Amino acid sequence: MKRPLKVLIAKAGLDGHERGALVVAMGLRDAGMEVVYTGIRNTPEQIIAAAIQEDVDVIGLSSLSGGHMAQFRRVMELLKKERVKGVLVFAGGIIPDDDVKKLKKLGIKEVFGPGSTIAAIAEFITKSQR
Amino acid sequence: MKMRDNELTKLVTRLESGGPLPTELYRRTGNARILGITGPPGVGKSSLIDRLIDNLRRQDKTVGVIAIDPTSPISGGALLGDRLRMQRHSEDEGVFIRSLATRHHHGGVTDSTSQIVHALDAAGFDIVIVETVGTGQDEVEVAEVADTVVVVLMPELGDEIQRAKSGLMEIADVLVINKADLFNAHAPATGPHYSALKWERPTIHTSAKSGEGITTLCGAMDVHHAYLVHSGKLAERRARAVRAEVTRLLQSRMAASILCALEGPQAQTILTDVAKRKLDPYDAVEKLTKEILGSQKRSSKHAATSTRRQTKKRRKTRR
Repeated sequence: MKRPLKVLIAKAGLDGHERGALVVAMGLRDAGMEVVYTGIRNTPEQIIAAAIQEDVDVIGLSSLSGGHMAQFRRVMELLKKERVKGVLVFAGGIIPDDDVKKLKKLGIKEVFGPGSTIAAIAEFITKSQR
Repeated sequence: MKMRDNELTKLVTRLESGGPLPTELYRRTGNARILGITGPPGVGKSSLIDRLIDNLRRQDKTVGVIAIDPTSPISGGALLGDRLRMQRHSEDEGVFIRSLATRHHHGGVTDSTSQIVHALDAAGFDIVIVETVGTGQDEVEVAEVADTVVVVLMPELGDEIQRAKSGLMEIADVLVINKADLFNAHAPATGPHYSALKWERPTIHTSAKSGEGITTLCGAMDVHHAYLVHSGKLAERRARAVRAEVTRLLQSRMAASILCALEGPQAQTILTDVAKRKLDPYDAVEKLTKEILGSQKRSSKHAATSTRRQTKKRRKTRR
């Protein structure tokens, strides 16, 4: 049996805006993926440890309070340091266009802002990982 | 442990997809204490485990956790939300947490739970905790995996008739009433009466929120383990677990060959005959059984010879 795609959805730092991340987590569940939801106030270190222990294919990071550059950069650094390979990272939330470019340079494959549909996110993941 | 995590996590993924546990790893198992935590959804199993990890780590024990949530019958996906309650332990090198989806297996655990318990056991964790899905009355498979089963309930879940019923209530070695801070729940006036010589199932009031009762619960689990060892029940339970595990593996192997046989041309003819009322379903089963057993014999013989060949090869290379 082919295993369903496994996705980690997490929020890093002190940002407490949980609704969007939870909606995405439930949407990806409905798209047939196994979603580990670790909720708010994760450190980048906790996110990477969870990604390793859960052996996920995809990490989705959410940020709505402006901490994305510092937090997501650290996540990407740790990913490299711990030699986690083949994991797709995407982001979502309130992220200015200039920062989207910078995040993509760090290796974050896509950033989904307000108005993004679950269908678009699910399709992006499926296309990138299969 | 971070390096160990990388290897272990890939092994668990293979086991989860039905892959076999390497023999040399199985030989290293049998040392961990296996705790099963079960009970209805929302009573606080994950939060309680978060507290248990805290307590066990203070005793310098390493902990592996398997946390199971249900697969969607509609989409085949899952929302695995147990880890969230224990996420603060993620960075602790003495803790390994893995979330699993049931993938349509009924019984409260997954198809691969026993194998993954072995993997964590072989990796050297002192304690392996299996958190079942939120269970109803009849999902009791964890009793075939764990040494000690803790059933977690909360206040106001029913009267003494509910307690008298079969199933979930019977498999508890320790009964926990979590959220005891709610509804003015009163703990029994006297403490639990159990001892390592004679086990009487204790009821322990806890609050995962405040941490109340966690030390008592850990103590009860320790005494239960001592009881299992002294009474010889541990060996008995583990023998039962082995039998259950082998039975499950055998059943899934048989089920696979049945499904395979049903795809064959002869089976199709038989099924068509049943549909045309030329054959009744019982005669069809008789015929199919003969055919499946026949092909089983052929394939197992083949498998046996190829394994022997491999063993010979391995011996040669060792020399």
